[in-house]
Amino acid sequence: MPKKKKIAVYAATGCRACEQAILDIHYQVGSLTRWAELSFWPYILGSEWKKLEEQSEIDVCFFTGAIRTSSDRQAALRLRDKSRLMIALGACAAFGGLPGLVNMAPSEVRKESREETNGPNSRTREKGEEPNLPRMEERVSALSQVVDVEYFVPGCPPRQNFLWAAIQAIAFETESPVRLSFSALRLPQAMAQAITSGVLPPKGSVFSGERAVCASCARTKEKKQFKEFARPWQKDPDQGRCLLEQGFICQGIVTREGCGGVCTAAGLSCRGCFGKTDEVFDPGPKMVSAVSSTFDSDNPIEIASTVDQFVDLAGTIYRYTLASQCTLLSSP
Amino acid sequence: MKEITFDALRWMEEPVRIKIFPDGEHPRGYFQITSPREVEGLCQGRPVEELPRILSILSPAHHLASALALDKLFGVEPPPLAVTMREALLQTLFFENHLRKIYFLVSSRFDPLSSSILPGNGTQGFPPSPHILDEIMSHISIAREAVTLLGGRSDHPLSAVAGGVSRYLKEENYERLSHIYESCLGFSLRLGEFLRQEILGKDQALSDLGAFSMAPMSFMTLSEAKDTVILRGGLGQELDRFSPDRIFQKIGLHRESWSYEPLAYIQDHSGGPELKDQVGLQAIFHDRCFFVGPLARLNQDTALTPLAEEERQRLLGDRGPLPRFDLSSAFWSLFLELLQAAEKMAELYKKENLTGPEIRNIPTEMGREGQAALESPKGLIYHHYRVDEKGLVTDIAVLDTVTENNALRCLLTQKTAEIALTRKHTTQEMKNFLELVLLPF
Repeated sequence: MPKKKKIAVYAATGCRACEQAILDIHYQVGSLTRWAELSFWPYILGSEWKKLEEQSEIDVCFFTGAIRTSSDRQAALRLRDKSRLMIALGACAAFGGLPGLVNMAPSEVRKESREETNGPNSRTREKGEEPNLPRMEERVSALSQVVDVEYFVPGCPPRQNFLWAAIQAIAFETESPVRLSFSALRLPQAMAQAITSGVLPPKGSVFSGERAVCASCARTKEKKQFKEFARPWQKDPDQGRCLLEQGFICQGIVTREGCGGVCTAAGLSCRGCFGKTDEVFDPGPKMVSAVSSTFDSDNPIEIASTVDQFVDLAGTIYRYTLASQCTLLSSP
Repeated sequence: MKEITFDALRWMEEPVRIKIFPDGEHPRGYFQITSPREVEGLCQGRPVEELPRILSILSPAHHLASALALDKLFGVEPPPLAVTMREALLQTLFFENHLRKIYFLVSSRFDPLSSSILPGNGTQGFPPSPHILDEIMSHISIAREAVTLLGGRSDHPLSAVAGGVSRYLKEENYERLSHIYESCLGFSLRLGEFLRQEILGKDQALSDLGAFSMAPMSFMTLSEAKDTVILRGGLGQELDRFSPDRIFQKIGLHRESWSYEPLAYIQDHSGGPELKDQVGLQAIFHDRCFFVGPLARLNQDTALTPLAEEERQRLLGDRGPLPRFDLSSAFWSLFLELLQAAEKMAELYKKENLTGPEIRNIPTEMGREGQAALESPKGLIYHHYRVDEKGLVTDIAVLDTVTENNALRCLLTQKTAEIALTRKHTTQEMKNFLELVLLPF
């Protein structure tokens, strides 16, 4: 029997939804431990760092959460050092996620936030020693901005089918007897092949669809003519009709598919938690270009009036990706 | 003795580190939140209608609290169907949250992934129960499915919007929801038998830890019928009641350099209402500490649904009269609320309750300020927003259970460390003890 692969799961700054997703899969498939050894998982196993140091190598590390503190950075470096393959799991690890929005916060808010905790203790100290805190970094980063990352599983949180595909393709390789039972739900060819053949997909592969969310959104697309900017509090969208065509900013056209259009199905616009498609260089200019090219007017005054209605475009378009996919604001 | 550090505690939803300095007359234990949440940085400048989606990162219940605050800000009443759908979502979140905590409790002495006994747990204690764990996880899974049907997504729901909800249920959803509540209610009753027989009862596995009790302290709950916050003292006596919008006049926030999360405490305005009340950590620990959540709601002594009320009588018969501050009652209160949530789901999920002509009233104008409080599964939460003329957020204040229970968790860490050191526990035993003590809060 082939040796089981060793898996690590770790969460930096974010929530626990990505880890819950792995735990859910563990039960749905009747235990992941049939094919892999979960050897480091602080949230479920209480694994301390010394447990990681005792191991010669980790085969696959699923890293969730954004890099916000020195502790997050150290964890990323230590896990990278030990792991043969590093996976950025979820929007926070893959792109910086919602925590990355603070990179755009007014400088006084960010400065105040850092000084409150990084500065010398101005409160009354008790007698004796007090523990320190991990230093808050200047800006939030995605995992790939700190260490080399082999694969990405985007989403907030990731969808079960792609997470299961990633686990099968990367962590099980050829050892999973259930791999052939996986019905490739519009998986990109490289991932489908990885699952069926046991050959790892190319480095940098993203476990999601290849096209834009619009391809799997069930709403009817007719003619894109942007007449007005509509905010979700102002009106209910027509059921079944493209949200962008109704004036709502919806990032479906620049975002990778894979979610199945879950937000648009609920009547709300896509906010891009799967990140941009390969064809898009930067989702911000692409969205602005796509929307402005469909303005239903040739009158400069009318156009200026429409433009004036837009609010917080950066915070909307880069909701999950500001730290890594905004060319102007992403760190190297 | 060298300081003890626990970098990784099981089941903590926040990034937490525990530091214990064992030397000196009194050993000192620190409960540290090691990463900031930066709600202000996330939300300032955003269109206010986006906040229910953004703040669901804190927990799914924050999505609902945020939508309630938007209702106030836009001055709009959701139609009855939307109110019911939101309530059904909230009760399902209660069920899921509490069941997950019970999963952790049941699996606490062994590795839930391989069913092997964890080091530091000996051979006594909760038996590895893969069957009950499978059942628990299966019901967490179907509860999450119900959250998806009602909220659009499971971990970060999005369907609650200003003035209502964003979509109707589909015809096929009613039948599925009906199966879900039947399964959840039936399982809750079986789970109760298991918990009483194996874990919660007087002579059962939790009895050694269950006797652990915190000192009587104040607790805070929301009386939803009157939209009133009620603060009671350690004897159960009412100390104060006030409108939620006065919460930051009544509750202060204290910062320490060793935690990213402030500690909430009860303000004392005896020197005059305008006097800013700033206290030190020891004063907070002495008599300004309070807590929120299931145990606080149990101690509030309000009427429950029929099966949950029966369960409450069993709890009182086993543990004694309210208010309770012991660990066993804290876990029992989780189960009690889980059972109540299942009963409420059974009622709320009925097709006639989830059907109606309108799901949303569209706001006609925008105010400048909105606030709302909500009893979430983890305790009372509060949102307050101010916006500019374009509806962009200029000020935001969110009171969350992590802040409210921070002082309590610091106290519990200190007390647990003292007991573990006195009993000469191994480091691993001390860690396991800490994890269980902190779990229900």
